[in-house]
Amino acid sequence: MSFLQPMLLAALPLVALPILIHLINQRRYQTIRWAAMMFLLAANRMSRGYARLRQWLIMLFRMLAIAGLVFAVSRPLASGWLGLSAGGRADTTIILLDRSPSMRQQTGGAVGSKIETARQQLARTLRLLGSARWVLIDSVTNLPRELESPDALASLPAAEPTSAAADLPAMLEAARDYVRANKTGRTEIWICSDIRQNDWHAESGRWRALRDSFLEFSQGVRFHLLAYAQPAVGNVAVRVTNVRRRQVGDNAELLVSLRLARESADGSSTRGSGAAASNDPSLAAPATVSLQFELEGARSEVTVEMTAAQFELQDHRIPIERSRQRGWGKVSIPADSNPADNEYYFVFDESPVRRTIIVSDDPAAARPLELAASIAPDPALRAAVETVTREQLGSVEWEHVAFVFWRAALPSGDAAASVQSFVDRGGRVLFLPPGETTSDEFMGARWTDWAEDDANVAVETWRGDQDLLAHTQSGAALPVGQLQVRRFCGLAGELTPLASLKGGAPLLARVPTPRGGVYFCATTPAPSDSSLAADGVVWYVLVQRAIAAGAAVLGNTRQLVAGEASAEGPESWQRQAGPPDAISTDFAYHAGVYSAAERLLAVNRAAAEDHSPVLADQRVAELFQGLDFARVDDQAGSFAALVQEIWRLFLASMIVALIVEAALCLPKRASGGAIEPGATGLQASDVRHAWADHVAGDGEPAARKSAPRTEQGVPA
Amino acid sequence: MFPDRQPRSFLDAQVLSRLAAVPLFARRPMQGTVSGRHPSPHRGSSVEFAEYRKYVPGDDLRRLDWRAYGRSDRFYVKEFEADTNLRCCFVLDTSGSMDFGSNGTTKKQYAQRLAGSLGYLAVQQGDAVGLACVADGVVRNLPPKRSPAHLMTFFDMLEEVEPHGETQLAAVLHELAETIRQRALVVIISDMFVEPEMLRGCFQHLRFRKHDVAVFHLLDPLELAFDFRRPMRFLDMEGGPAVFAEPNEIADRYHRALRAYLDGLREVVLESAIDYHRVGLDDDYEQVLMRFLVGRTRSEGVR
Repeated sequence: MSFLQPMLLAALPLVALPILIHLINQRRYQTIRWAAMMFLLAANRMSRGYARLRQWLIMLFRMLAIAGLVFAVSRPLASGWLGLSAGGRADTTIILLDRSPSMRQQTGGAVGSKIETARQQLARTLRLLGSARWVLIDSVTNLPRELESPDALASLPAAEPTSAAADLPAMLEAARDYVRANKTGRTEIWICSDIRQNDWHAESGRWRALRDSFLEFSQGVRFHLLAYAQPAVGNVAVRVTNVRRRQVGDNAELLVSLRLARESADGSSTRGSGAAASNDPSLAAPATVSLQFELEGARSEVTVEMTAAQFELQDHRIPIERSRQRGWGKVSIPADSNPADNEYYFVFDESPVRRTIIVSDDPAAARPLELAASIAPDPALRAAVETVTREQLGSVEWEHVAFVFWRAALPSGDAAASVQSFVDRGGRVLFLPPGETTSDEFMGARWTDWAEDDANVAVETWRGDQDLLAHTQSGAALPVGQLQVRRFCGLAGELTPLASLKGGAPLLARVPTPRGGVYFCATTPAPSDSSLAADGVVWYVLVQRAIAAGAAVLGNTRQLVAGEASAEGPESWQRQAGPPDAISTDFAYHAGVYSAAERLLAVNRAAAEDHSPVLADQRVAELFQGLDFARVDDQAGSFAALVQEIWRLFLASMIVALIVEAALCLPKRASGGAIEPGATGLQASDVRHAWADHVAGDGEPAARKSAPRTEQGVPA
Repeated sequence: MFPDRQPRSFLDAQVLSRLAAVPLFARRPMQGTVSGRHPSPHRGSSVEFAEYRKYVPGDDLRRLDWRAYGRSDRFYVKEFEADTNLRCCFVLDTSGSMDFGSNGTTKKQYAQRLAGSLGYLAVQQGDAVGLACVADGVVRNLPPKRSPAHLMTFFDMLEEVEPHGETQLAAVLHELAETIRQRALVVIISDMFVEPEMLRGCFQHLRFRKHDVAVFHLLDPLELAFDFRRPMRFLDMEGGPAVFAEPNEIADRYHRALRAYLDGLREVVLESAIDYHRVGLDDDYEQVLMRFLVGRTRSEGVR
């Protein structure tokens, strides 16, 4: 329980007033000379049981009455928010609102979604609690925005749900920076979220830094988590994995691959095999899903049956006009508990030429690179490879390049600037060690010396979960472990290893960049250096993956993840399809199809949104360990107020206590009749009877009673 | 009545004149020294016929009833009641507790009024009056006499009474039961703060000695009501330990103890045929005495 006027609780010691009065009264005794001591002593000897209990009860109820009054004027709140705001009115209240797509979930046939319920609950609760300043940090912008009142939450566009994932640590960092910059007083931070793992990044090292930062604040920061953790069991999410336009004879068709995922009871949708899902009774029953394809107004429908947690539809053919080279479309499924993942937008265009540039001063060494880059994995894809020397870099049309092989000394000067610009645009670069290393550095990384080992060195570890060496779509690992490296070049700088040789030396590493990709491979495909070319699978896959990623930014269509940075500012976007109520500056956060100049952009939710389990309660508690943290779980569509004023209850308690006290104080009904001062207690008849008995029992007058007392009474 | 003295503070001439209209009667035969208005256990020469008795040799032939002889041919002696005066012994409790009084009148003063008035009435009708002041023993004792001069001595002693010491009423009553000659009117004036069971023996002892016992039980209204508001420290007027009490807490039990005591005393006086009068100090003593005298008038004549 908490209080809106906790300062008034300082009056709680008044509860001891009856005891104090009792003690003072005891000190103010009077002395009297008393005759009837025998009754006092007899009374003292009697059991004091009820009388003593009655006195204590009277005192207890008097104390309860005072306590009830003090509590009532302190305006107590009843809620699940244990220890809500014992410090009273906050100086600053910061609201962290999770606007991720999963917050649009509805549960149990409720009318409102999680985020709608949360906004109403927050507005109602915070209005009651009061604060000097209100600040909203939403999960899309992560920027603090001051509110006039909590009621604004109900109508603010910045509190509407979006398709962008949340980043709770980043939101907390924004809150921390705000507190630090504004030097706020006592601060309450209200986090409203459905606690999905992809939003909370519980494994991130930022949490530790955040905890330490908040603990440093002397003004006291309290955290309240309004959690909507109910998983949307059985909710189906649709995601288009691939869209290709294909020319078949005189006709054209669109090949759409998509994936359906059903959410299990723990809030996740199992990826890959349905082994884990088969253990979940909630996913045991097959589900029929009607897929609706919409291609710029033309609709088609196909029904599929899901027997497991996931369903893949590969290359579903949709005939299109031959003249249509580019366009957009949408896949939707019937409404379920979360409407946010029932639609997926896609755009298509004629595949651009996958142009690769090989920068090498040694044409022979460039040959395996050329082979790996020039053979496209799909006949429909066009690939082009061009080998240039460092001096010829000026003639390269960087805007049409998808991938760069760099097998020369690291770029410097204008070359470095060109490559940097290419990477910033989204291109991919793979650096291979030159024959002779130099001290040149690019993006904080540089080559050191070549190392040569007589025995082949095997790859010890590699990242199979993501990036170039990730497992295949079927879940099979690439045969990276079979590679043999005889000669490799050392790497220095801030790099993230994707594969490491035995001994710890990196084989493939990546430079962290906000966009694009910069990779360093410590060896070359030359037979004298490694078996990369001989065991060509790994080499071919990683090269093609890099080319595909680089090619994704080419062409006039783009698949974007909502909320992720894009080269084009959303201000110039025109909506083709999508939510009508989204404002233009927020187009990048709402799923839909937008046009920017000549380009078509499809914005969708992040892939992690489809299979993000709910964070365990214990894990959440660990994240806030050491901080002043309270959590309450609410449900979407809940109308029960989180916080209620219950001063009436205490006032009623006070009245009841006073009534009971009065009842106990009432003089007890005299038992056996009152003692009247002047009464003898004897009836005249009693005395006469007693006297008659007495006389009858007395031996002396007996002889006279036997004789008559009249003159006529002479004995016969 | 008081030719050469100051008026006694415990006597009121008007009250005495009103009370004089009702004679003081004994409830049982008294054994006096001279003729009076009270029945005697012996046959005498009053005009009231008592009984016929068979003649035995030695009886005075003048008392033979010849008419009865004529009717029955047997000798009967006609006997008449004898009237005598009584000896009225006042037993006045002078223990420390008799100095208590919450409304301006102490129990001692009230007892003085009762004893003085009754003593005066008794002497006026020719009865002898004595006084025993008792506390933890017989403090002072005045044997009963009927002369007016003795009455002055009686009043003097009554006036000099000072409450002091503990109450040993039971032992004193036993002692007085033995020392007072048989067939006297014993008037006990006390607050009776003694266990009723102890008094039972005393009363039976007095009854065995054929005394007519009357008790004036003096109680202060405050002792009955016990309606204190504040914590009190009660000092024992007879020298016992002081008691500190919260009246709100103890009043209930006090009343229970008082009620038990009064019930016990009621039972004792009923069994012992005591002429018992509970008197509150706020009662008018004239009324109390009037009730006492009138009550005795009703039971007068029982022999």
